[in-house]
Amino acid sequence: MKKKWFIMFLVLAMATMLGACGGKSSGNAGGETSVMEGGAGENATELSLWTFVELHGQHFESMLKKWNEANPDRQIKLNVTVMPYDDMHNKLSIAVQTGVGAPDIADIELGKYPDFMKGTPQLESLDDVIEPYKGTVVQSQLDLYSKDGTVYGLSTHVGASVAFYNTEILEAAGVDYKNIVTWDDFKTAGMQVYEKTGKYMGTADTSATWQESMLLAQQGADFTDDAGNPVVNSEAMVKGLTMMKDLQDNNVIATIAGGQPDTEEAYGEFNAGNYATAFMPLWQMSRYTNYMSDLAGKIAIAPLPVMEKGMPRSFGGGGTATVVTKTAKDVQLAKEFIAYAKLSLDANIDIWDTLGFDPINMDVWDMKDVTHNPENQFVKYFVNNPFDVLNEIKDEIQLIKSTPASPTINNILCTVTLNEIFEDGKDIKQALDDAQAQIEQELK
Amino acid sequence: MVKKQFAFKISLFVFFTVLCVLVLIPFYAITLASFKPGEDLVRNGLNLSFDLSRMSFDNFIFLFTGNHSYFTWFFNSLFLTVVQVALTLIVSATVAYGFSAYEFKGKNFLFICVLLIMMVPFEILLLPLYTLTNNIGLMNSYSAIVLPGIASAATIFFFRQYLSGIPKEIIAAGRVDGASEYGIYMRLILPVMKPSFAAMAILNGMNSWNNFLWPFMVLSNSDKYTLPIGLKTLLTPYGNNYDLLIVGSFFSIVPIFILFMAFQKYFIDGMTAGAVKG
Amino acid sequence: MIKRFLYSQKVAPYVFVLPFVAVFIIFWVYPLASSFTMSFQKVTLGQETQWIGFDNYSKLMGDGVFLKAITNSAIYMIFTLIILIPFPMLFAVLINSKSMWGREFFKSSFFFPALTSVVVAGTIFRLMFGEMDTSLINSVLGFFGIDPVKFLKGQATGYIALLVLATWRWTGVNMLYFLSGLKNIPDDYYEAASIDGASKFQQFTKITMPLLKPTTVYVLTISIYAGLAMFIESMMLWNGNNSPKNIGLTIVGYLYRQGIEKNNLGYAATVGIVLLAITMIINLTQLAFTGLFKKEEN
Repeated sequence: MKKKWFIMFLVLAMATMLGACGGKSSGNAGGETSVMEGGAGENATELSLWTFVELHGQHFESMLKKWNEANPDRQIKLNVTVMPYDDMHNKLSIAVQTGVGAPDIADIELGKYPDFMKGTPQLESLDDVIEPYKGTVVQSQLDLYSKDGTVYGLSTHVGASVAFYNTEILEAAGVDYKNIVTWDDFKTAGMQVYEKTGKYMGTADTSATWQESMLLAQQGADFTDDAGNPVVNSEAMVKGLTMMKDLQDNNVIATIAGGQPDTEEAYGEFNAGNYATAFMPLWQMSRYTNYMSDLAGKIAIAPLPVMEKGMPRSFGGGGTATVVTKTAKDVQLAKEFIAYAKLSLDANIDIWDTLGFDPINMDVWDMKDVTHNPENQFVKYFVNNPFDVLNEIKDEIQLIKSTPASPTINNILCTVTLNEIFEDGKDIKQALDDAQAQIEQELK
Repeated sequence: MVKKQFAFKISLFVFFTVLCVLVLIPFYAITLASFKPGEDLVRNGLNLSFDLSRMSFDNFIFLFTGNHSYFTWFFNSLFLTVVQVALTLIVSATVAYGFSAYEFKGKNFLFICVLLIMMVPFEILLLPLYTLTNNIGLMNSYSAIVLPGIASAATIFFFRQYLSGIPKEIIAAGRVDGASEYGIYMRLILPVMKPSFAAMAILNGMNSWNNFLWPFMVLSNSDKYTLPIGLKTLLTPYGNNYDLLIVGSFFSIVPIFILFMAFQKYFIDGMTAGAVKG
Repeated sequence: MIKRFLYSQKVAPYVFVLPFVAVFIIFWVYPLASSFTMSFQKVTLGQETQWIGFDNYSKLMGDGVFLKAITNSAIYMIFTLIILIPFPMLFAVLINSKSMWGREFFKSSFFFPALTSVVVAGTIFRLMFGEMDTSLINSVLGFFGIDPVKFLKGQATGYIALLVLATWRWTGVNMLYFLSGLKNIPDDYYEAASIDGASKFQQFTKITMPLLKPTTVYVLTISIYAGLAMFIESMMLWNGNNSPKNIGLTIVGYLYRQGIEKNNLGYAATVGIVLLAITMIINLTQLAFTGLFKKEEN
């Protein structure tokens, strides 16, 4: 009889415990591995941060240390949660809209950013905290994350797109990447590479639109018209994709596992030396150093090929904005910290040093001791110095607009259209017309 | 005749052995993979290549000593499973007793409701439940995960079947002795029901341990994640987590495997409970 | 007084079933009702809810992606029925035969996949079905001289991957259901039949199959339900809810996409209501045909 009561007691005790656990909301992360102290003392304010890239955490950690040293009376502890891309944005979107469960600070990727700008943004205006840094950072990167003249997110990098060539493969095929200027050059080189080595010169991406953006930017076009309406079946788009398709038909490029260079499957393919080129924003550098160690010393960086000589050779691709939510614990502190961690000169130097991104404070691009530091892991890894290329294309970096229609456009192209074109060989115009119709239907 | 039977015996055995090997291959593959560096998996996919020079205990060492949240998730899962099972069994058994021991107005209607919710896909309730949870402030709490399941239809159904095999005389005798209705349940019926608890504990435990979608929607704080959610968060190209993912997946199977080996009979009883009457 | 009331024999049963009633109302009736209401509204978190009548339903009728999701779910369900009922039944009969060695071992090992969570199982299968020529399935194909297949990029091969996963996880469970059904068939039926000269095959079709009917109906019912409501398998196999050309999109996946990913809760609720209607119609028809209700009345 006693035993039974004991069991009942256990159950009740557990139920109470459960209630207690349920009562407490987020942020009871005592001694968790994800809490960054950054040398903070007892009285530090704990702020929570969500991101989808583990490496971003490293940058915040080193900035946190500096912040805590410089502001002993306003110290911060960061509680960092890393979630997969889709999950983090879904959860964040719901949390900020309902006002429940949102973190204080979050990273939002450019592709999802417009979703957070709908209606009245549930994010804090950052206009006051960016004031001191205005003029030191690229204005277009501030505009990218603003709505009606108010900035809500702080950019991480310019994301200038470049070509990453595997020189080992190219040399084996007798190709010099420095001679590739136009897509015709690229095609000739690629056919030679395929013939001599049996490897593909590049990828035909099906799950990302870096290549489409790059081709549109070269032609001065965009996914949307001036009013922000989708025009994915435009002439420029057809022209660009027809060219890519021709490259695919000639075995210059081929689809890749994962669908684009920035996936774990593709890291493996590249690392194994199955593809010679990736056309990616500069931040792909960190993927090379982190996930493709076998290629160290073999990858050269160069401007993108263009359709005709004289066309702009780069565009700013991707990007992550750091934001402060309306429900943040200490809004002002959070805002000042992210401004410091993203916009200050120290921050921009660190963004290059630890993350390998092209910082939005372009003064850094000219600081030889920073950009050509022989101890830097990125400088060590690549054949040539990325900033030599960056400074060459500095004035050619185009911008692809981010509009409320962008997430839908991106979703349709990446799940349906590009697969139809490169995997099934569907007629390009037809596939793009279908995409346009589907996008319009979904935006209704 | 004897020869023919023997041939049948052999071929049957061979047939099932082949099937069994097929079934166990994925387990073998993940066991092998847990000894290989994560990058191999990313490069080559999961396969059966056995290359000792690429294999080591590094992943296991990292699992037990590394700086990560795996065991937080593990114990969260364990805690949630224990709580969920205990509450579900107590509540469901009580409800089942109500259905089995009494005749009362609305009984049939209510029991049809029990059967009905076995047929409604829980998934369609996700969004309204989500908004409800949000509105009453239970987001990111374990209560939101446990509560919807405490009166489990399948469990009620099973207990009712079991109780229908217990003679009503026990209840009558209890009343004669002057015990209250609740006293009868607690002191006379519950002890008799004991054997049926094991099977249901296992069934609910399995479901709870592997439960994913609803907890995934409710929980947003890494410290509260359960094992399946935690493992899923490792699946990101920006994390370099494959070392932990694979050894963690492997290790997540181990406790169930041990329990299964120890309580095989109850597992099978629990799983088949719904299919057969009585 | 209150104590007396609560302890009376009339009131006690209600106290016993109260938890169920509470859970039923809070977690089933209320959400179902609110799902139904939401399906007539435009619900966006953070914005005013608007009443829009049948707009969601008419939009859904013309929604090609939804049609794709329904087709995927239906095909998946039908194939799981084709694979996961006859074969487990056959295996159960074979494993139950007296000539079987190592019965318990085989039972356990077939059941074992059901113990792994979908997250783990899905990840294992995603990596096994990887498109590199070194992934498990492609290396087996390569052994037979077949070129690597991009399983998760093609429609038919995508279904194959999903179905292999389902077969792997559920064969053992369904087999156990049939085994427990077989236990209820008395041995003398078979003895009598073999005295009458009935072949093994006749015994199977004339005795085993009819007597396994209640089990079959049960397995059928839960398989229809599980097939139509499948989502996480697809989510894990494609590592997300966006598969190329939506080859892995299911009805619940679409509900999740609209509700959680696109913050379009009203429309998602409509998807849910349609799913409920489909499941109910199929299962009630099926139960009427298989005569479960008649049996209940007897």
